[in-house]
Amino acid sequence: MRQRRLLRFHGLKRPRVRQTWNKYNLFNLIQLRTPQLSFKTFFQQKWRAKSMTRGYHGEHIKEYQWERMFSRRPLSAVDMDPAYMARYDGSEQAAGRGSGLLPPPRTRGTKGEEEASRTKATPYMQMVFAPMERRLDIAIFRALFASSARQARQFVLHGAVTVNGKKMRHPGYLLNPGDLFQVDIERVMTATGKPKRSLPGQKTVSTTATEESAEAEEGDVKEATATIEDPGEAIDADATKEKHLATLNALKSRAQKIMGDKEHIRAKQKMSLRKFLRDVKTAMDTARKSKGEATSTAEMNEVEQELSDLLSELSITPTERKAEAKQAAIEQKEQEKLGGGLLTAEEREALQRLAREESLNPHDPSKPYATPWQPRDWMSPFAFIPRYLEVNQRICAAVYLRHPVARPGLCEVPTPFSPVLSQLAFNWYLRRR
Amino acid sequence: MPPRIRSSSHQPQQLLNYLESSPSFSLSPASALAPLHRPTPTTTATISPSPPPCSRRSFSATPAVQLTRMRRKFKDWCVNNALFREPSPDGSTNYVSRVISQSDWNKVSADMPFPNNPQFRSQPVLSEKAREMIWEAVMVKGMPLKAVSAQFHVDMRRVAAVVRMKEIEKKWERENKPMAYPYARAILGMLPRANFLQGEPPFEPINDIHVHSYTMQQLFVPTSESREFTRADAAKAFGDHILPPDDKMRIPELVAMERKIADGMEPRDAEREFIREARESEQAFAAKQQARLQAAEERRIRVDSGRGIEFRFEKINAEDVGPTGRSRRGVGWRYGVPFMDRKRGQVKIPTSVE
Repeated sequence: MRQRRLLRFHGLKRPRVRQTWNKYNLFNLIQLRTPQLSFKTFFQQKWRAKSMTRGYHGEHIKEYQWERMFSRRPLSAVDMDPAYMARYDGSEQAAGRGSGLLPPPRTRGTKGEEEASRTKATPYMQMVFAPMERRLDIAIFRALFASSARQARQFVLHGAVTVNGKKMRHPGYLLNPGDLFQVDIERVMTATGKPKRSLPGQKTVSTTATEESAEAEEGDVKEATATIEDPGEAIDADATKEKHLATLNALKSRAQKIMGDKEHIRAKQKMSLRKFLRDVKTAMDTARKSKGEATSTAEMNEVEQELSDLLSELSITPTERKAEAKQAAIEQKEQEKLGGGLLTAEEREALQRLAREESLNPHDPSKPYATPWQPRDWMSPFAFIPRYLEVNQRICAAVYLRHPVARPGLCEVPTPFSPVLSQLAFNWYLRRR
Repeated sequence: MPPRIRSSSHQPQQLLNYLESSPSFSLSPASALAPLHRPTPTTTATISPSPPPCSRRSFSATPAVQLTRMRRKFKDWCVNNALFREPSPDGSTNYVSRVISQSDWNKVSADMPFPNNPQFRSQPVLSEKAREMIWEAVMVKGMPLKAVSAQFHVDMRRVAAVVRMKEIEKKWERENKPMAYPYARAILGMLPRANFLQGEPPFEPINDIHVHSYTMQQLFVPTSESREFTRADAAKAFGDHILPPDDKMRIPELVAMERKIADGMEPRDAEREFIREARESEQAFAAKQQARLQAAEERRIRVDSGRGIEFRFEKINAEDVGPTGRSRRGVGWRYGVPFMDRKRGQVKIPTSVE
């Protein structure tokens, strides 16, 4: 199904609350109020409620599809206290003239709070969009595996989702109670992690605040003053340049070595390697040409870092990886041997803890998200998991336990709208037009 | 529209230098052309906060974006509400109720992610430790699911799901498969958690029953005042096939235990009885399922072709097609009965995955 492109998905002028973790969405959610409807006709009220609620609940699903899914019988459940069930057969509620002689008895299990909730009304009207929560893409979003329902849909279409161990390519698959769905871990980490470019250390174009750009500017100024003021740099500029050239040379030879490994290399990889070699060559040329001027070491380092990152992304031959890992393990062991004598027990423990944390969340430039992994900005206000799902975050899997239900005073369908609006929307879908 | 400054080729270099070093970002013609006649000498890279001449985008002829009122409001909001950018450092929830105390004239409590909807609460999820406890109770101690559910006040289906996913996790751990540890840690840090500690409220109702739509109507049944009108009678009044709640209990053994306690049995003994009964009922259920699978297996004839292909034969009844020949239980392609699967509008999304 072709998706409708929305030009103002998160607008400020005509705000709509959407199923995303966007900061505009958060702003709109905080601004959201139930509109003044008393001067409108009933049709207008229903229309408004429908358009507002549908903007949040499955806006990527076509209206006729949703109309077919809509159920006018919302599910609800009541908790039956075993202690009460064992002690009473219900006849005391029908005693007298049919409505019981006394208020409902207190039993062993009931608490004051529970008793209060028993008298609360069941919010059936908030269950309008309960059938929507059964869809696979929306369940993935609710399990906090994707940052928006549309992204969750894309995960399904791109084959990153399995249901009960089998790949499921239909975002509209309606989950059955007991279904276990699993999303590719890398996708989840990319969707929920910080993007690679907006790390505070890196100097790049950031989408958000002016203060960040101001900071970057400040950094530039400092750099410029450093180049002017530091006299030591001019003296050992030649030495740094030679070192820079040597590093570039090493990178070049490594890339050539990878190119030589003809069995494991793919055509596409080869192309990117060639491009990489060209880049190295230009970098070396510029370094050689800039004889008189003292190019700042920071710039050189940046170039080196960029190129080495690029190469580490390209060199994904398994043999190389293995060799690298082995080398790293040997080095670590040696370091442990060396450091063992100098550190106190506490320090060693702290170091080990840090190392463990590092090994669980390592710096890895080959990943498509910023490493070490951190949750993306503006995410926490949207973090909740409804009770009809049970999620295991470590393996990025979740079980759809049952259909969402309404209980006295509680509704399991996450909807940002007030009961008034939901009721109007329910009434809109009750009618067949 | 005010006249714009053309591309750099038409401008003398000197002018451009003035332009880029002017501290103002907006390039309205008046302010931009002023330095041509009266150059101000206060513009060097070290003093002014403007980018130095060597920066990548030293000059742009695009006029500065006019911030609308709403956009400015949003920008201000972003600065003032930076607490939502990162999860709260003390490991608690970070919902919008932190800045909104009232919405639609209703009080907003801390566990409401949506301030307008007081009926939706962010309820606690099981912490890693709690999941481990459940897995251990089932897989190591071998307790029946019903007993685990009653002990921790966790729905039986949730207990089963936790164990199922924990098993996958352990398998991945053994296989050294990469797992999303940082993600799990961050997410559980943002959510309210249940740890099964002393004094925590029960996690969720474990003995809830669905409300049948037949029982949602109001009914007037005349009876004598002396009659004991019980739950079973009420169920019968709603319909012949409506079960009383006593028959719909998810853990009927729990009710039996309470009955024994009410009759004067020691709670400890009653609990032991409960665990025994729960185990027996689960074993009976498993045996029944096993028998069904075995019966299905016996109906099937497996023939190994010796080429890595196995043929499975099952007996079918040709009468299953029904009088019209279109029954869903009929097997195979039937002459004259069209397949609808290539017709327009037929939904081909599977309805279940085994």
